[in-house]
Amino acid sequence: MEFQDYYKILGVERAATADQVKTAYRRLARKFHPDVSKEANAEARFKQVQEAYEVLKDPEKRAAYDQLGSEWKSGQQFRPPPDWGSDFEFSGGGARPRRGRRAAAGDGEFTEGEFSDFFSSLFGGASPFAGGGAGPARAGRDHHARVDIDLGEAFRGTTRTLELRRPEVTADGHVQLHAHTVRVNIPAGVTEGQLVRLAGQGDPAAGNRPAGDLYLEVHIVPDKLYQLDGRDVTLTFPVAPWEAALGASVTVPTLGGPVQMSIPAGSQSGQKLRLRGRGLPGQPPGDEYVQLKVVLPPAGTPEARALYEQMRSQLAFDPRADFAR
Amino acid sequence: MARVMQLLEARVVGEGDWIAAAEICQMCRIEQSALLELADLGVVAGRHTYTGWQVAASALPRVRVAGRLMRDLGINVSGAALALELLEARQALESRIRDLERLTGGH
Repeated sequence: MEFQDYYKILGVERAATADQVKTAYRRLARKFHPDVSKEANAEARFKQVQEAYEVLKDPEKRAAYDQLGSEWKSGQQFRPPPDWGSDFEFSGGGARPRRGRRAAAGDGEFTEGEFSDFFSSLFGGASPFAGGGAGPARAGRDHHARVDIDLGEAFRGTTRTLELRRPEVTADGHVQLHAHTVRVNIPAGVTEGQLVRLAGQGDPAAGNRPAGDLYLEVHIVPDKLYQLDGRDVTLTFPVAPWEAALGASVTVPTLGGPVQMSIPAGSQSGQKLRLRGRGLPGQPPGDEYVQLKVVLPPAGTPEARALYEQMRSQLAFDPRADFAR
Repeated sequence: MARVMQLLEARVVGEGDWIAAAEICQMCRIEQSALLELADLGVVAGRHTYTGWQVAASALPRVRVAGRLMRDLGINVSGAALALELLEARQALESRIRDLERLTGGH
């Protein structure tokens, strides 16, 4: 596994005070927070920053980490020393056993609270950021993960393969991670930011208490053709000037396949026409808005040029008539 | 390590109109007092029923983002509410820009 230089990640000196560490974390968290940031690789950077802060804010973990020495550089191959942990008793989150809980991971997608192998090998346990929160204390811990799907998948429904890792106590009292792979059916009609729940796929609980759930937060990647707003989609649809002026019957793509649509005579560029119920399915289903974009034919041939000249001479048309004079 | 392939059916949370406050707090990892404050600030719509306090299901993504912002950035409920409004305003403007770029043939 690769060594993580937590001081470098937070951009602080090894002698930084707790306040300096906190300030550095807050600054970087604001910069890379996935809900806020437009930076490239914001999610990966944010996880690194969270992990570094988790260690450096905790005096016990920080002291233990410091004992590794200052010669290590980020990215160097690393193994914990054989006597690692003999002098420390981590009382905070992430107590031993070292190979503790990890959130569910799926298709390499962002999983809240999953820290690096480096962190796990040193401190065990998953991030407190992945905690079960305000839920009933007696139930197993819930897990949260993110899943990215495209608009077509949101319309039709889709499946994803997820690798779930759960801690299980062995007969001799040790905790081992048990991995299993599941296929998840994500129903049609999910919208941006919506949660889907996989009941009982979180951490198990002791005794007869219920296991936690796995929540997948759905994100729909931007589509080349459509813009999504809730369950509604907007399509920019190029039309010829005569189609807009005279009206036309045209074939328009929709998520469910092409449909015929009438463009009323006298339409303008930017005008929106609604195809009811042609957005994402739901109760009620969304609509598709077709936004007309009038495209001018080039005056590249003598015939085209003659037609434009004929319009200029015969149409009393001033596109700037509304300008104040 | 044994691997077992299972096929699981995911259920969309909040298909109904309203969700119990306790449930939304668990899903969004947010304290109930913070949820009530978000409702007071108009960030989420809430209502009292004979079974308890409920929140509009449509607010779920907003509450999750608010919860993350509070946990990760150390901001209070008012700060999270303000950040949410600004983020949504930015999103609306970006959407509008993309809309106009498509209309004008820009990038």
